[in-house]
Amino acid sequence: MTENRSKTGLKIVVLGLLLGVVLYGGFAFSMKSTDQAQFCGNCHTMYEYVRTHQMSGHAKQACNECHIPASGVERYVFKAKSGAHDSYVTAFGTVPDVIHAGLDTKEVVNDNCKRCHDITVLNVAMDVKPYCTDCHRSVPHMNKLPISKRSAANE
Amino acid sequence: MSRKNCLLTAALCALAALFFGCAEIPEPKAPSYKTDLPETTVTNKPFEKPFPLQYKTYLRNDEDTIMTEYKGSVPFRKNDDVNQLPKGYKHAQPYLKNLWMGYPFSYEYNETRGHTYALTDVLEIDRINRYSDKAGLPSTCYNCKTPKMVEWVGKYGDDFWAMEFHGFRTELDLKDHSIGCANCHDPKTMDLRITSVPLNDYLAKEGKDPKTLSRNEMRSLVCAQCHVEYYFTDPKHGPAAKPVFPWTRGFDFEEMYEYYKDFGSVTAPGMEGWFADWTHAVSKTPMLKAQHPEYEMFIDGTHGAAGVSCADCHMSYTRLDGKKKISNHHWTSPLKSPEGIAAACRTCHTDKSPEYLKDRVVTTQRRVFDQLILAQEVSVKAHEAIRQASEWQGEKAADFDALMAQARERCRKGQWLWDMVSAENSVGFHNPAKALEALANSRRYSQEAVDYAMQATMFGIGPTLAGDIKQIVPPILEHSRKLQQSAEHLQSHKWLSYLPKFPEADLVWNLNKRVEGTPEAKEGH
Repeated sequence: MTENRSKTGLKIVVLGLLLGVVLYGGFAFSMKSTDQAQFCGNCHTMYEYVRTHQMSGHAKQACNECHIPASGVERYVFKAKSGAHDSYVTAFGTVPDVIHAGLDTKEVVNDNCKRCHDITVLNVAMDVKPYCTDCHRSVPHMNKLPISKRSAANE
Repeated sequence: MSRKNCLLTAALCALAALFFGCAEIPEPKAPSYKTDLPETTVTNKPFEKPFPLQYKTYLRNDEDTIMTEYKGSVPFRKNDDVNQLPKGYKHAQPYLKNLWMGYPFSYEYNETRGHTYALTDVLEIDRINRYSDKAGLPSTCYNCKTPKMVEWVGKYGDDFWAMEFHGFRTELDLKDHSIGCANCHDPKTMDLRITSVPLNDYLAKEGKDPKTLSRNEMRSLVCAQCHVEYYFTDPKHGPAAKPVFPWTRGFDFEEMYEYYKDFGSVTAPGMEGWFADWTHAVSKTPMLKAQHPEYEMFIDGTHGAAGVSCADCHMSYTRLDGKKKISNHHWTSPLKSPEGIAAACRTCHTDKSPEYLKDRVVTTQRRVFDQLILAQEVSVKAHEAIRQASEWQGEKAADFDALMAQARERCRKGQWLWDMVSAENSVGFHNPAKALEALANSRRYSQEAVDYAMQATMFGIGPTLAGDIKQIVPPILEHSRKLQQSAEHLQSHKWLSYLPKFPEADLVWNLNKRVEGTPEAKEGH
């Protein structure tokens, strides 16, 4: 009787652990894959940005290496918020003619510049311009390229 | 597999596709269509049903009330800085009628408006003689006004150009045949195409096949079908009145000036065989007329040299249905509204505000416009100096004729250079350095013309040329074909007295209709 009960307990624990592993794995996998250009490029409004990303020196980095905070709870909160906003606008809202990054995204992206390139900027002052991309101007999706090199109708 | 399993698999596949991104991002390629429209379509209306969104933006070209600082869509008289809109405007060029004396442009020349008015405006303009059965200008004048050209050139070939302009009026519907879809699109696939004979001729000369040109090049070349400097072939040099773009030496204005030292039949000393559009009625100088050289101005400017196309700024993408991008087919000044600036400029200049961008444009325009007015004043002085010198009764220099020939050559060149800036529709913005260089050189050549004329008269005309040119030669505000029928009008200004009086006549043509009661012309086209 006692043996049976402990066996059942063990089963529950093992199953629970397994479920946890599967859930965590699933969560980690979906978090990771929804960071990628392949996922972001599912919406035609993002074609221009995924395309210029793929043409660029950052092609091997995921979109969200730049576009959401690097770690912590804020990473998940920011992602959920942006995802919800973008989904809503795509499904029910009006996409603007020209898509511009909001202030919060600009701050997040700039923090991520400094996160990866910290050694490069270690010995220099960073107070001349607000954003790294104020000098590194083609990094924001090659926005000085002629339109036809990065965009097309129906996107 | 059961139906349920099937659905489940499909759903899982779709989910997987979403996560792994089965969808490849396509190359940035313009969409191609398959319409039911015949290739010979030359009217606009049939395009509305298959392309309602683009058509809706096309109809926005009907807007003709909004002005910007220097441009806009009110067709005011470009020489009139006296009257208020819609007749005149604060930034007008008061000497235009003087400088084009003896040429149809002295009758009427207005600010441009949308493509939807192109046909109305060409049929209404006083440059073409509507008081006679002879327009005085060839059918080539339709070349950039209507997709009907495709049909006419197919039907008449090179005979078309010199045919009677009036003969085609009644074939035209003012709106349905105005510049439209078929000018730039293959009606079957909607692919960009070049229908312009002179542009295709130029590309052929350069060994370029329009079918293999890049999408980026085409996004400017469709505009370069019309927004260019051109001339009509002198019968000695090919099919009479066929339009040609004078580009084989280059797009620089001095290179184009050199080009015109050929292809003509001028007999004036020192200019034998040169091309001339007309002889200035007052100074008797064989002149060149510049026409809207947008393409030549922009192509080596800051934007053009960087590969930015006309369509990038003038046909910015818009999401009319809130979702998919279409090219905005409302061709106008991007400066009309902050929204217009945002759409045209902020796709690239993402970090700049519309106010800042507008200020940068107007800063260039103000400088160019101020210098343009000064260059025109020296140009008027050059014509007046040559007029006075040619009538000079006092002691003349030994090489009088040679000096006068040089004076006229400089006068011609000085006017060519300011006209290339004046006729260009960006007031310098499409190429600030090129515009200011042309105006600086224009003043130099016009001043040299004055100097040569002075020398020719042993400086005898010096006293009558001293002082404010506006007092010596007042700007001519009013002039038209109707006014030239009046002896009183021709006596109202020294320069007008050099014009022949026209016989009194009434209008024969009103747009695409013959005025009732006027006798039918015997010869059709």
